[in-house]
Amino acid sequence: MIEILIVFIKIIFALIWLLTLTLYLTWVERKESAVIQDRIGANRASILGIRIIGLFQPFADAIKMIFKEDFTPSFSKKFLHDLAPFLSFFFVAITISAIPFGDFISIGGKTINLLILDINVGLLFVLAMLSLGIYGILIAGWSSNNKFTLIGGLRGAAQLISYEVALGLSLIGLIMVYPSLNLSQIVHFQGELLFGVVPKWGIFLQPLGFMIFFFAALAETKRVPFDLPEGESEIIGFFTEYGGLKWGLFMMTDFMEVIIVSCLLTTLFFGGWQVPWLATDGFHFPWGGEWLLSHWVVVLFQVAAFNIKVFFFSWLQVLIRWTYPRFRYDQLMDMGWKLLIPLSLVNIVGTGILMSI
Amino acid sequence: MVKIFIDEKPLEVEEGTTVLNAAEQAGIDIPHLCYHSAFLPEGNCRMCLVEIEGLPKLELACSTQVREGMKISTKSEKVIEARKGVLEFLLAEHPLDCPICDKAGECKLQDYYEEYGLFESQFEESKEKREKRLKIGKNLILDQERCILCTRCVRFLRDVTRTHELGVFNRGISSEIHIYEGLSVENNYSGNLAEICPVGAITDSDFRFKTRKWFLKKEESICPLCSRGCNIYIEYHPGFPRFSVPKRVYRVKSRENQEVNGFWICDLGRYGYSYIDEGRLNQIVENVNHPLSELNLEKILLFISEKLKRLYHMKKTSHIALILNTWLSNEELFLINKIFRIDLNVEKIFFVDPPEGEKDDFLLTSERTPNKRGAEEIGFDFKPLDLETLGNGTQFLMAFGPHLSHHFSLTEIKPVFDKIETKLLFTSFSNEMNALFDIVFPTALIAEKEGSLTNLEGKVQKFSQALMPLGESQPEWKIMVDLAKKLEVNFNFYRQFSSPEIIFQEMGKEITFFEKRK
Amino acid sequence: MIKAIEYFIEILRGSVITARHFFVNMFFHILKVMGIKTKRKGAVTIQYPEEKKELASRHRSLHRLMKRENGKPRCVACMLCVTACPSECIYVEAAEDPDLEIQKYPAKFIIDLSRCCFCGFCVEACPEDAIRMDTDQIELAQYSREDLLYDLDKLIG
Repeated sequence: MIEILIVFIKIIFALIWLLTLTLYLTWVERKESAVIQDRIGANRASILGIRIIGLFQPFADAIKMIFKEDFTPSFSKKFLHDLAPFLSFFFVAITISAIPFGDFISIGGKTINLLILDINVGLLFVLAMLSLGIYGILIAGWSSNNKFTLIGGLRGAAQLISYEVALGLSLIGLIMVYPSLNLSQIVHFQGELLFGVVPKWGIFLQPLGFMIFFFAALAETKRVPFDLPEGESEIIGFFTEYGGLKWGLFMMTDFMEVIIVSCLLTTLFFGGWQVPWLATDGFHFPWGGEWLLSHWVVVLFQVAAFNIKVFFFSWLQVLIRWTYPRFRYDQLMDMGWKLLIPLSLVNIVGTGILMSI
Repeated sequence: MVKIFIDEKPLEVEEGTTVLNAAEQAGIDIPHLCYHSAFLPEGNCRMCLVEIEGLPKLELACSTQVREGMKISTKSEKVIEARKGVLEFLLAEHPLDCPICDKAGECKLQDYYEEYGLFESQFEESKEKREKRLKIGKNLILDQERCILCTRCVRFLRDVTRTHELGVFNRGISSEIHIYEGLSVENNYSGNLAEICPVGAITDSDFRFKTRKWFLKKEESICPLCSRGCNIYIEYHPGFPRFSVPKRVYRVKSRENQEVNGFWICDLGRYGYSYIDEGRLNQIVENVNHPLSELNLEKILLFISEKLKRLYHMKKTSHIALILNTWLSNEELFLINKIFRIDLNVEKIFFVDPPEGEKDDFLLTSERTPNKRGAEEIGFDFKPLDLETLGNGTQFLMAFGPHLSHHFSLTEIKPVFDKIETKLLFTSFSNEMNALFDIVFPTALIAEKEGSLTNLEGKVQKFSQALMPLGESQPEWKIMVDLAKKLEVNFNFYRQFSSPEIIFQEMGKEITFFEKRK
Repeated sequence: MIKAIEYFIEILRGSVITARHFFVNMFFHILKVMGIKTKRKGAVTIQYPEEKKELASRHRSLHRLMKRENGKPRCVACMLCVTACPSECIYVEAAEDPDLEIQKYPAKFIIDLSRCCFCGFCVEACPEDAIRMDTDQIELAQYSREDLLYDLDKLIG
């Protein structure tokens, strides 16, 4: 019984964390783009005249979207039209269950893993859920009864499938290095030290794998350099016929994907919740120093490290989104099939050779 | 014939022609202010100076007659210099208040300055002060400062009206146009003074400050206010997109036609244009509760044609009566004659016209019937309306025009009309007589349609459409053609009439009077 | 291969530029929050309703009709502005002035600002310098079209 309660509480915490971050990522996106472009950005939303640099903007957006008309175009498949945004949202949101936020906490002799779903195939689970997101896009494009949304949906499916391959292949090298598919174990492996100094993070062991994964994951988020399915500024995308809260779900899915990708990057290549040289009882510096800490401080360090890494990658992705123009469709396909997949194969072979030596 | 050279262009002109007229024939424009082809040349503006080979000084084109072999140059440097000089003298005392001058835009002095002048004034002295707003007649206001003493007005009153109200007073710089003591320009042609004044010295209080000349569009038409048929220009305002202008027609000007009215029109025609915009009927009026809902011309004509067909088949065409007027064009009268008198054998046809008015011994006639002669030539005998005959057994009455009220009072006419079963009126105006009719349909005026009129001298003059018909108005010829088609009598004959021009050609074939007059 | 690396370097340069903008601007924003005044600002934005940009000396704003010394409009209703107006938004009705020196004055002078394109042709056409566009009023929005019809009283005020 208590187990179920603990899982329930973990789910609640994880969802609150994810949704709050998603909500504020929209604000970050606006503010960061504004700062990059020497502007100020949305700062007018206020409650009782208090503005606080536009921190209430996401609420204003949410209220607006909730009160907009829930519109379904005529002759569209109403059920599928309603289902599509939920599918998209669900398959992205569920991946958070496999991400470890920290090591464990012990309360009253009980050890609680800071992870909802500690399964052996965690990595496969995440990849599977992410690739299921295609259905949301395809169904949205098809059920809108609009040839442009259908084409947009097909474009999206083609892009996601192309990059799915590179995404999966790029991780094989990683799995070879850390012989596990369990995400919490992968993080644990990364706590070890390389040559006694450098933490054994994925970025150091698999630099090429990281780059391929990063590119492929960027493409998975369907944001600007890879926003061909959506193309909000000129080509018409798969959610053209959506409005109000249903469109809002698509948009939230986009931002949520950014966070999930950041989580994955952190977990797989940047040591997850690991802080360099921090063990369960405190810091053990390679040059011989020691700084012993209590359990709760260590947990705090770990969770903070995970969050900071996630924030950094979210920030980086927003920066990339506001820096580069969109790829042409043939460039996109070239990069997926002719560059990333061969490179990931090279990565696998190279990793194998290095490991056998 | 005399052979001359104007600007090295050989030209043969009649003996006795002036250089100015010869140049006009050659298509060369010599600037002139005081010369007007209605009068003898006076030569006091000095604008028309030209250089003639062999003569030491520049000569006046308006008063020099051509000689054999004369070589005239109108564009030589000397001539252009002289024009500039003359303009400078003319403008020396001219106030240059073009922004408030009604003539601006059609002022010859302004045009010539733009074309030949464009100098800076050398005069430092202030200009002479004179009378700015001298009322010299019922509609005329004289501004002596603007006057350049061309004496066109004086000559008009001397030669055309012979009333001599204006003259040149004083001498030298003090000379000015003024009115003789105790007189006022009250003759029936006074409006022409404002028109012939080359500058804005005489302005028309009817037009004064109402709008600017360049907003107006100018269309040719014929004056229907008496049986003379003077040729006129109608100047109307096409309006602004967001602001409504108070009226359409702002003024009427004379159009030269030496066979009818020369250069002039009378004041009745000039100032009587308000009928075009005032008191007009612009939609169908239904006075009796009719089974026809939402009336339009189509439904009305169907209704008429059914009535007429029934009466015709019952051989009761003597129960049909028509009231016509002479504001109908030749074509319309011809169609009505064809349909009602020839096809339907209607005998009760009356004419109701505006009552006779004043006449003078120049242009204005006493009859206010612009097309009486045409009606006679087409074959109508000109019967005035006789209420007794009309009331005698009439079941169906079709009337045209608004003039019933000029001859009968409402009480006089009502008992007669009450006996008539169906009464229709086609009129351009709304007046109290309209209430007597079941249906009143708006029609276009002469200014709003195309056709021809025959004036009292038997001259057939075509006129074109100057304005758009007001509201739902339709020209009568169109109504008649549509009605004839609905009657299904001789359908193929009426079907061809898609324009007044075609009707006129058919008229020429059938009636010898109209044969040669095209 | 070398070319590909060059491209890659250029791509990285791009994000370095945006990142530089981000950090430099953030630096000045933080200085401002900390209350340190600097010449350079983190953003070029003008916070419109509170802050206003100074209008250029040759700007064109709401029209005004000039007055004579006795308070009457300087306009003589010559209708040259009506003629010059490309959007046909001016309507003038003239009347006879008892003063012989003036003669003509505008009984009605209406500018329909909902049509006006602020080209300034009326100002250039005016022979009397009676109309100017230098009132500095550029916030002319109204809730109804009728309110945008500016008549003589409003224009001369």
